[in-house]
Amino acid sequence: MTSIDDDGLSPETIEAALKQTPRGAFAVAGTAVALLMLAWLAIYLLVFLPRGSVG
Amino acid sequence: MNDVAEREVVASELRWASIVFVLISVMMVAIIAAGVLMHINPPSNIERLDPQSVHLSPEFTEGNLGVRVEPNGQVVARVIATQFAFVPHCLVLPANRPVVIRATTPDVIHGLLVTGTNVNTMIVPGYVSQVHTVFRKTGDLLMPCHEFCGLGHSEMTATVRVVPPEDFHPGPDGRVACAAQ
Repeated sequence: MTSIDDDGLSPETIEAALKQTPRGAFAVAGTAVALLMLAWLAIYLLVFLPRGSVG
Repeated sequence: MNDVAEREVVASELRWASIVFVLISVMMVAIIAAGVLMHINPPSNIERLDPQSVHLSPEFTEGNLGVRVEPNGQVVARVIATQFAFVPHCLVLPANRPVVIRATTPDVIHGLLVTGTNVNTMIVPGYVSQVHTVFRKTGDLLMPCHEFCGLGHSEMTATVRVVPPEDFHPGPDGRVACAAQ
């Protein structure tokens, strides 16, 4: 009988895979946050500020 | 997970946290700079008024609504937002000159914004909303109600007519009306 934890991978293989995983996560998260930040800056600089003073 | 892997995870999370800290700092500095250097702030005014006697208050009686140049030279627009109209429905204001818009309501929550500008405030029964601004472009700007106030909400619009300063001619009592422009 195969246990749920027994996926046939050695601890070294799992360790190596875990080392690689954050790079992809950071690439996706970094791209998403960079796009969001650029969109915020574009609206802020090109739309909000030129509309002038208010208060 | 061994110690090396755990240290790497902690280091990468700290790296990510510092990036987020820098981004939030950039946004905060930009917002503070706009407020301090360019006078772009959220309109803030705490001034109470009995909503049941708005029409009897010295400032918001019918005859006192609209745009007036005060004796001190300040251009003030007074508006009542009511279901489902702004009174008056047209305001004439000069470009490139500080103006104040003061609004209140006798019934429910309304809001106003002037399209293409940063003028945007809620109008809450019992309070006077006040917005200071300087219009840079001339023309007729739409001023809709932006808080759902009832079945006629979508019909509740007014016009802000921004005219060049040389075309802004207050009458002897300091009043300016759209019909005269």
